[in-house]
Amino acid sequence: MPRDIRLRALFWQTATVLFLLALWQWSAVTHPAPYLPPLKPVALAYLSLLKPGNFMDTVFPSLSRLAIGFGLAVVLGTVLGTALGYLRRLDPWIRPVLEYLRFVPTVAILPAALLLFGATDTMRIFVIAFGSVFPVLLAAIDGARRGNALLLDVARILKFSLAEKLFRVVLPGALPSIFAGVRIALSIGLVMMVISELIAANDGLGFYILRNQRLFQTANVYAGVLMLGTIGLILTLGLLSIEKRVLAWHRGWRGLSDARS
Amino acid sequence: MSQPLLSMEGVSKAYSADAQILRDVTFKQGSNEFLAIVGPSGCGKTTMLRCISALMSPDSGSVFHEGQSFDDPPPWLSIVFQDYNRSLFPWLSVRRNVEQGLRDVARSERDDRVSEALTAVKLDHAADLYPWQLSGGMQQRCALARSIVTAPRLLLLDEPFASVDAQTRIDLQDLVMDICERMSLSALLVTHDIDEAVFMADKVVVLSTRPATVVEEIPIDLPRPRDQLTTKETPEFLSLRHKVYTLVRQQAQ
Repeated sequence: MPRDIRLRALFWQTATVLFLLALWQWSAVTHPAPYLPPLKPVALAYLSLLKPGNFMDTVFPSLSRLAIGFGLAVVLGTVLGTALGYLRRLDPWIRPVLEYLRFVPTVAILPAALLLFGATDTMRIFVIAFGSVFPVLLAAIDGARRGNALLLDVARILKFSLAEKLFRVVLPGALPSIFAGVRIALSIGLVMMVISELIAANDGLGFYILRNQRLFQTANVYAGVLMLGTIGLILTLGLLSIEKRVLAWHRGWRGLSDARS
Repeated sequence: MSQPLLSMEGVSKAYSADAQILRDVTFKQGSNEFLAIVGPSGCGKTTMLRCISALMSPDSGSVFHEGQSFDDPPPWLSIVFQDYNRSLFPWLSVRRNVEQGLRDVARSERDDRVSEALTAVKLDHAADLYPWQLSGGMQQRCALARSIVTAPRLLLLDEPFASVDAQTRIDLQDLVMDICERMSLSALLVTHDIDEAVFMADKVVVLSTRPATVVEEIPIDLPRPRDQLTTKETPEFLSLRHKVYTLVRQQAQ
């Protein structure tokens, strides 16, 4: 994008945010209500969440569960999906199950997970992994299946082993599709993280929001929600920058230049 | 008498009952021979190449490489495909693409051989670029480097010059002939371009329309080295070209 267009976009983006904040502040001041505190206490609560003690009790447990659960989902979904997509013969068996499972709202697994694992970290990690594995798995199967048949011929001529075919031909070819799945998985993972912490938890952001709601500490509730937004934003930006690096070849191959992306 | 490098004996292949592609294809290729296979378009040349390379097995008949038959591509065989855009690994640099044939070779030897192959195709200056940063002709040269780096004995060329412009095609023809001569490499070129077949080959095999079968084998005894200008102006070239052209046209009718 040319510089002046970028500057103009930045101006309007900032203006929109400031306008929404002003609207919030104006409503809170003119119509005082317990459910809508003014900006200042919310901002203070938000900042206090970043203090080391609070961070370790509230934000860190959530982040570590998300990291493990989401990480498991990405690895499992990628490896399994790549293999299943490549081994088309398995398709008639696995396809119906997968197509069915993708329509089951993943939140519904929560009671079952609670019975299975109790109110433990394992349960929460499982719920996050379960929710986020499907988009990755389906994207990997799809990407591996639509892979380039000619490259597999080349691989046969070059005597690639099965593992080499999977990891050096099928997987790299499926990565653009997998990254699209991972982006969706991240947002689902965040939802599952919060939900898993609303039940029988004693730390984490979900627990923090629920407890403060019960204590009528509305500023803290909004601070927690904003913190979730911040986490989602930072993780998405991180993911995009990894994607940009890993898939540089793909943008080049598709004929997209850096300037347009 | 030693076995021919490649022989196809009565090879037939059908994709379904009413789609027979190859019918009783039989021919031989000797060592150090440059063979060209021409035929009307869509006659089954690519299917034939897939049978030769053991990427596909024939319904009946056999393919022998020095008297042996193979279920998987023999290690001394390389292929350059027409579609360079899809036959190179887009996520690997030119050098890494070429390296893929030498995964079992020690690092230092591998580097030397890759550099050698890249120099042979005049691509040493572009080793660190990615295929999509190269022109079509350069991409095809990269594919060629990957094919010769394994020091094959038989190089299969599946319409390798069909997707590049005329000038690049001429350059690539000269390059391939030069490499085959220097490496004493046998090549089997599948093409629909009759000039190209006559100009490059020691023997032209003419195929019929689908289901393809060998119509005639025409030895091309033009002296080497051949030159794009002078060879193509000799009466011998013109009469051979006329002969092959007539045969192919008869098939198409």
